[in-house]
Amino acid sequence: MTKRMRRIARPENRTWGRALAVTAIVLLLGACAQTQSFLTSENLAQKPANPRVLIMPTDVELSELTTAGLLEPNAAWTATGRSNVDAALDSLLAGRNATVVRYDKNGGAGSAAETQLLKLHSAVGSTILLHKYLPGFALPTKKDKFNWSLGQEATALRGPYGADYALFIYLRDSFASDGRKALIFVGALLGAGIQGGRQVGFASLVDLRSGEIIWFNRLVSQAGDLREPELARGATENLLDELPL
Amino acid sequence: MTSARATSLLAAAALFVASCAQTGNIQKIEPGERPTIESDEAGLWMQMDRVEEDLQTSGKVVTDPDLNAYVREILCQLDTSYCADVRTYIVRNADFNASMAPNGVMIVWTGIILRAQNEAQLASVLGHELAHYIDRHSLKRWREIRSTTDAAVFFTFATGGIVGILAGFAAYDSIMSFSRDMEREADTRGLTMMRESGFDPRESAKIWQQLIEERDASDEPEKKSAFFSTHPAAKERSETLAKLAEETDNTGTTIGRERHAAVTAPFRRDWLLDELRQRDYGRFEVLLNQLIEAGMEDGELLFYRGEMHRLRGEDDDAEKAIAAYTAATGSGNAPAETYRSLGLMQWSAGRTTEARAAFETYLAAQQDAEDRAMIEHYLQQMQ
Repeated sequence: MTKRMRRIARPENRTWGRALAVTAIVLLLGACAQTQSFLTSENLAQKPANPRVLIMPTDVELSELTTAGLLEPNAAWTATGRSNVDAALDSLLAGRNATVVRYDKNGGAGSAAETQLLKLHSAVGSTILLHKYLPGFALPTKKDKFNWSLGQEATALRGPYGADYALFIYLRDSFASDGRKALIFVGALLGAGIQGGRQVGFASLVDLRSGEIIWFNRLVSQAGDLREPELARGATENLLDELPL
Repeated sequence: MTSARATSLLAAAALFVASCAQTGNIQKIEPGERPTIESDEAGLWMQMDRVEEDLQTSGKVVTDPDLNAYVREILCQLDTSYCADVRTYIVRNADFNASMAPNGVMIVWTGIILRAQNEAQLASVLGHELAHYIDRHSLKRWREIRSTTDAAVFFTFATGGIVGILAGFAAYDSIMSFSRDMEREADTRGLTMMRESGFDPRESAKIWQQLIEERDASDEPEKKSAFFSTHPAAKERSETLAKLAEETDNTGTTIGRERHAAVTAPFRRDWLLDELRQRDYGRFEVLLNQLIEAGMEDGELLFYRGEMHRLRGEDDDAEKAIAAYTAATGSGNAPAETYRSLGLMQWSAGRTTEARAAFETYLAAQQDAEDRAMIEHYLQQMQ
């Protein structure tokens, strides 16, 4: 973010750390679209018959990849991509055994705390990506289990919406600029693989009784385009793969 | 030359053309203007809107309505037409810094408000930041970074990687110097705004002079603050600003020392404590002296001078601390804690009578002292 601001401040370390983690995941996991989800079995036993699921605001950002590999955020693409993902979520969840409730920025109680939860999810999600999906980064205490949580604070979301679970979605999509495309072409001639645009994301289902993440999935793909409704639907479907609802 | 090599050079040339996207002639932003959603500028705004959402729920933002109204009032006096486009956020941080985001988020650290000795000095900082917004410096910088890094990639490819490394350094250098050019531009526009809105522009150079004094007295002068590394050399800047301020007679005269002192008085203790906790005692001492000279409440400042000596604890710091506390108690607005600190220092110097008197004064002045039981225990120990 320091690039954007006329500032001399220290970089926001958390933001950089998160960006770094996501970048590392993207670089190391590469390849084609792939998902790999985690479930915590003990919590699933508590699953109500027809749970109410709160859809948190989808955290979507689309960017252009410059020749040199910088990401330039694009507001128009982001608006399109986000509305495509939202529409896909609506239609994909309609057939599930769940009642869907939409998060309302002005309707809930304590919007400051809720904003903090969204930020926390993006931090926890990046941490899970790093320590659960990347070989060599596994935490000794979490090696053979999946016990991540957004903490007790998440239970505050339960009241205003009467929801049992909350679904958090984080998606980033990027597209090579003309210069980058040329660079990829040149690279191919010289035998060097140059990274093009990427789609990366993760989703969590949080039990609002405990704040625990009971299901987590991540998506990494070189193809896809969230600007296209059908492709956005495909990406969302992949992301929701094995969602226990 | 092999044909693959020739083809790749051709392709590299094509790439160079593609990558030399025009940085464009960036005009200043108009009041109320918003970027069109397809533009790169809208992307920058979008990202900063996210940062602003974070800020709105951040515990570090000082929400006091009077202080915020004061900062806003100065901003709006500087330029009424852009005032509605800019949101100011006062962030609690001891260092001297402020920033301007392309979407109109202006962040002012409390370290700046503490150090500004009057309205005009605060206006000089706000005017400088506002100028970054008006001249779209974030967008300029982003396009510059994008095209210089693009060019660096081209050189890397066209030369098989060797020149690319050098070009990379050159690109970095150009980013930094571009930034300094923008700082100069912002200084000039900021100063014009000050002058035209009635503030005394000569105060602008003074705030830099004050910072230089602080830096020179720092315990860690080699650890340059982030501020000095990205801004034009402070000395050069101060001199340029002083010269610019003298260039015309048609100028503002408001300094606003009393008002600034009064508005910031309720916060000064906390902010001084933030600064003291940085443990740069040399710098802190100079800052205290500057504020005392500027006529801020001296009981409080003398108390902190005592605290600085007490915490540093070198050579004759103990006696200097006692002298500062004693001076503070004579000034009428010393915080009650002055007597507690005085008691501790007198006690460790072996002067129990003076220590007892100080502790008793502390307890009398601070009826709900959280450490009452401990101080009473000290008093018992002394008997």
